[in-house]
Amino acid sequence: MMASGVGEQAHGSVASQFYSNEEETAFDMTTSEKVVELLNQAALISTEEKLIVLKQVQELIINKDPSLLDNFLDEIIAFQTDKSIEVRKFVIGFIEEACKRDNELLLRLIANLNMLMRDESVNVVKKAILTLTQLYKVALQWLVRIKSVSDMQEACWDMMTQIKEDVLALLDSDNDGVRTHAIKFTESLIITLSPRTPDSDTPKKQEGDISLDKIPKDHTYIRYDTLCEEGKSALEQLLKFMVHPAISSINLTTALGSLATLARQRPMFMSEVVQAYETLHANLPPTLAKSQVSSVRKNLKLHLVSVLKHPSSVDFQGQISTLLLDLGMSQSEITRCTPATVQPRKRLHHEPYVEGKRIKMDAPLAEDDEDKEEPAPVVTPKPSSSVGTQSAIDLTAEFLLPLLTPDNVANLVLISMVYLPEVMPASFQATYTPVESAGTDAQIKHLARLMATQMTGAGLGPGLELCKARDEEVKEEDGGAGESSSKDPLIIRKLSAVSLGQAISVVGAPAAYKTPITEEAPQIKKLPEPILPTSQPKAPGASGRKKVFKLADVVQPFSEAQIEKLSNMAIKRILLSEKVIAQSGMSHVRVKLLARLVTQFEGGKKNDLLQFILEDMRGRSELAFSLLYHEYNEYLSQQPSGSLDSYEHCLYTLLSGLQEKPEQRDGLFTKLVLEAPVITDSALEVIQRYCEDESRVYLGMSTLKELILKRPSRQYQYLNVLLNLSSHEKEKVRSTALSFIKRMYEKEHLKDCIEKFALTYMQFLVHPNPPSLLFGAGEDTEVASPWTEETVRQCLYLYLSLLPLNHRLVHELAAVYTEAIADIKRSVLRVIEQPIRGMGMSSPDLLLLVENCPKGAETLVTRCLHILTDKVPPSPELVERVRDLYHKRVPDVRFLIPVINGLEKNEVIQALPKLIKLNPIVVKEVFNRLLGTQHSEGSSSMSPLTPGELLIALHNIDSSKCDMKSIIKATNLCFGEKNVYTSEVLAVVMQQLMEQTPLPILLMRTVIQSLTMYPRLAGFVMNILARLILKQVWKYPKVWEGFVKCCQRTKPQSYNVLLQLPPPQLASVFERCPEMREPLLQHVHSFTPHQQAHIPASIMAVLEANSRKPEPEPQPELHHPEIIEEREVPVPKHISMPAPVSQAEPPAPTPVEFTEPPPAQQQQIPRREEVEEPMEQEETDHAALEVMTEDASQQVEVTEEASQSNSISEKTDEPMEESAARPVDVADQPKEESEDVLPEAGESSVD
Amino acid sequence: MVPHRLVVVRERGFDVRSFGTGTHVKLPGPAPDKPNIYDFKTTYEQMYNDLVRKDKELYTQNGILHMLDRNKRIKTRPERFQSCKEQFDLVITCEERVYDQVLEDLNSREQESLQPVHVINVDIQDNHEEATLGAFLICELCQCIQHTDDMENEMDELLQEFEEKSQRPFLHTVCFY
Repeated sequence: MMASGVGEQAHGSVASQFYSNEEETAFDMTTSEKVVELLNQAALISTEEKLIVLKQVQELIINKDPSLLDNFLDEIIAFQTDKSIEVRKFVIGFIEEACKRDNELLLRLIANLNMLMRDESVNVVKKAILTLTQLYKVALQWLVRIKSVSDMQEACWDMMTQIKEDVLALLDSDNDGVRTHAIKFTESLIITLSPRTPDSDTPKKQEGDISLDKIPKDHTYIRYDTLCEEGKSALEQLLKFMVHPAISSINLTTALGSLATLARQRPMFMSEVVQAYETLHANLPPTLAKSQVSSVRKNLKLHLVSVLKHPSSVDFQGQISTLLLDLGMSQSEITRCTPATVQPRKRLHHEPYVEGKRIKMDAPLAEDDEDKEEPAPVVTPKPSSSVGTQSAIDLTAEFLLPLLTPDNVANLVLISMVYLPEVMPASFQATYTPVESAGTDAQIKHLARLMATQMTGAGLGPGLELCKARDEEVKEEDGGAGESSSKDPLIIRKLSAVSLGQAISVVGAPAAYKTPITEEAPQIKKLPEPILPTSQPKAPGASGRKKVFKLADVVQPFSEAQIEKLSNMAIKRILLSEKVIAQSGMSHVRVKLLARLVTQFEGGKKNDLLQFILEDMRGRSELAFSLLYHEYNEYLSQQPSGSLDSYEHCLYTLLSGLQEKPEQRDGLFTKLVLEAPVITDSALEVIQRYCEDESRVYLGMSTLKELILKRPSRQYQYLNVLLNLSSHEKEKVRSTALSFIKRMYEKEHLKDCIEKFALTYMQFLVHPNPPSLLFGAGEDTEVASPWTEETVRQCLYLYLSLLPLNHRLVHELAAVYTEAIADIKRSVLRVIEQPIRGMGMSSPDLLLLVENCPKGAETLVTRCLHILTDKVPPSPELVERVRDLYHKRVPDVRFLIPVINGLEKNEVIQALPKLIKLNPIVVKEVFNRLLGTQHSEGSSSMSPLTPGELLIALHNIDSSKCDMKSIIKATNLCFGEKNVYTSEVLAVVMQQLMEQTPLPILLMRTVIQSLTMYPRLAGFVMNILARLILKQVWKYPKVWEGFVKCCQRTKPQSYNVLLQLPPPQLASVFERCPEMREPLLQHVHSFTPHQQAHIPASIMAVLEANSRKPEPEPQPELHHPEIIEEREVPVPKHISMPAPVSQAEPPAPTPVEFTEPPPAQQQQIPRREEVEEPMEQEETDHAALEVMTEDASQQVEVTEEASQSNSISEKTDEPMEESAARPVDVADQPKEESEDVLPEAGESSVD
Repeated sequence: MVPHRLVVVRERGFDVRSFGTGTHVKLPGPAPDKPNIYDFKTTYEQMYNDLVRKDKELYTQNGILHMLDRNKRIKTRPERFQSCKEQFDLVITCEERVYDQVLEDLNSREQESLQPVHVINVDIQDNHEEATLGAFLICELCQCIQHTDDMENEMDELLQEFEEKSQRPFLHTVCFY
């Protein structure tokens, strides 16, 4: 077992310690000086120290030297406005001590206490209540002592009375603790304001306390009667408080304790207390949890026992024992607690309290009652004498007892079955004990009592009516004095019990009053009668109980349905009188009346009114608002337990009415939304629906925007609605939402929320499937459907529209992008164009993204680069970032494409080999950029390379870095751009290429192609050809082959060029194209003899030669893909025995060389078939070789690499020749040699 | 067995006191029906020495000596709740019987200041596991209570929450000094 004491005693001890030290050091100071010094200190120090110091002061001026109290009062009281709660509580404690020490101070301090009672901290208020509990007694005692009361003192007492009322009102406080304190105050007040009697069980410490019996009846200001009434009223309030259906368990516990205290200290209240206990036991508040029920029952037991132990409980022992038995106490225990029956002292002592007048009344009243109670046999133990004080429950129980026949009870049970709740209530479960003594008299009596308790609680039964009549009578007798307590606790309890509903329905069931009602009716009607004799003293004796006209006799109460119908009609009449009332200028009254009336009724009428409003919402908007406010007001008035349902229904109906009506464009909807006191969830749904209506989306969202901006308390909820709309499937709704959100985004406080939402949505993209949220299901579970373009977009709309406003967000996209699946990536790439363009290439965040380029986001970055440079040339900063990225981090040449025009010339040339190897579409894009053929703005002047330079660069690509095929494709792209590659440009290109040494392999191809494009270049080409002869073109097999082909094409112009060839080469030409010889010969014959004389004989010999003769000639290339196509004839068949030619030496037939193991074997050969070929060519015949080549070509189709090998071989025959000519060099040249050359070599060797 | 639970709570900075409610201090003995009984005047030191003398091994093994050792560092002797006249804000009991005793005691005192004291019972079986669990539960409860702005107003709800969380019923009431 533990106890936790927060604070005070600890402070106390520290304080005393401090105090004693202080005393030692400053013993020569006077107390007054000490106090001054301490107070000065207190103003400056922390709360904790302040409390210590203040306590010292209190000690000094209250206990040590009270004469100082007056001097320093104001200084201490000044601390009542201190920030610290503890300090303020101290001030209250000080007030208490000071007033106890010197009662006169009450005059000055009562107002302060009043102020502190209204402190904002409940802890201060509670302390004030505690203090007031003490000071009320102090004040009363003080004033009673004074015989002549001054004006000041009167005012003081008035204020005390006022504060007392305020505290009683706090029984309804919102705060549980405050209520608890108020209950204790009420308890103490009741004890003070009621007379102590000899059987009072008064605690020793309170022996001296004042109580009503010590108040002189002749006091000048304090009225005995008034106090007496106030005390009774307080008791009533306490009892009323007890039966509140929603009372908290602690309040209930407190009240139970208070009642026990009352019963022991003021046994005159024993009856009320026991009855309250009984009522409570039968009607535990339904709001209590199971464990609370146990706690309350435990308390009830404890207090019942303590009451039982009091000797005055003797009259109630039966009831108390029954209760205790029900609470699980054994009979023996109960007996142990029951005091030995002493001489019953009873009520005689109490009678003076009711001022004696009651005694006079009792006699005739008792008689009267006896007469009327004929049908119910009197079973009370003390029949006549007790009637006066018999409670309503007693009377009703007596009345019920004979009616509880087995038949009736069975009926009751059957009827009440219908009303049983679905689930057993916690309180029932906790309290249920099997009925052991069913059917016995005791049990029937107990049952009658239980039912009587219920009935009285519900305001039914003869006993209640009787008591009421009796009370009224007493009050009337009392005249003016009784007026203040006109609130009958029983009547009030009836109201609160009605709201309980369920409990009553059992009692109120037909069987319950079927039998009684006939017998009961006359009783009820006669009840007011006893009043008559007193007002008209002649009546009773003369007319007795003869027939008197009574309204109740001749009228019947309406049935429920009738009441309902009549009230409906009444309201309808008010509704329909719209115009008439408007003419009279009183429509505001009608509006108010309707709103008030309807708010108080349930269901039907409300709907009627709402329907009526909606019929003409414009004209009846005033009514609508009035109704709405009334509903809200109703809700507020029921705080804290009130429900918003009714208000919500009203707002929802109005809004949906407006929403469903077509063409309401006058802003009534907006007005209603903005002026409604609270927007409920369902109303928000209507607003959302409104926003989703394409024809109203703007108005709807403006309204929503207003809500967001003007109702900050729930703005995030409103904002969320708008945000959800940003991914709406309707384009118009979405775009409007987005444009509104963009505007909100400028507001700092909303920014985060919007951003978070956008990012959350974007984060969905990393999930394997789109969350169901996107399909409007509203739940976050993932549906197995795959991502679609549409769902991806849904996740991105908001984000993308924020992106241009906040570039920083781009990094989040990159993060998501790297994790998303390929489909999503593609969609993302498609949708980012607009926003990225909007950001522009100067955006630091975009540049940063490029610079950092997260792994996996390369494609994203590339896409961004493309978008940025699509229309505008890249900025130097961008180029710099990309260059950096390319060189240092991700050497993917594709990065360079978007910024290619920003690169240096040599950078482009360096990148070319990689660029042209890319996908043809991409290569085309590159060329478009370089040639400026893509878009008008990026003119070709921007390009680092002129078209000519580009073409030249292509020719000069190192064959080890790029395969020939790609280069050829690239040049083809150039030729495709006829506008750029004009004849002039091509001429310059050819000129420059021709001047290079060694000659580029593709030279002749380009020449031929230029010629095909521009036939008028023929003359220029002839010139080129002639120059090539000077450069010994035959040393470059590839070029030579092209040369021959070119000549073939350009005949007859080329005849002159051919004639310039040395004889062996000319022979080689004829070897290739035998059909050329005859025309050339004829051409020579057409010469003038003089001209013919210039033709060397050796040439002529070649021209005239008929027989084939092997000529030393460079080995022609086997197949240049393009050229082969053009030739239409497989090359190998026409190839003469090739003769390797070394550059340095004149051509010589050296066929033997080829039988040597080919250098290919020494090369690093990557592919198998290529290795095999040279092997086989040594041993196999031509046919076998052909098979092999076929084999190889088949494989070409299979693998891409193989095709590359083909083209590689094409460009490598030169070195091959070299090696053939100079075998020693073989080792030096291995890499450039290729495999495909070999089949040709094989062929030749076979030849 | 009780005070060792207190240690947990104490270490976390509450202003806590622990009490017994019986007429005597009972410690486990060699058999369930032979407990060691002391009156409230006996110091922990004396109990410790007494038990060491009786059967050091047994009482070391069942942790009693350890517990006494720790307790004597906290205070010299056990205290009886009924004899303590200080006022507390909150009393926590670990057994319904004790709760009843506390209630009876508090209700039998004469009311004076009307300062409320809340009494809460958390049923904890007297074994080590339960005691440890219970200690943490109580500690957490105390922390929550201390963090409330207005203990009295929030207590009800807090206890409901704890009941639900811990799946054990709490008894709760308020008495007045």
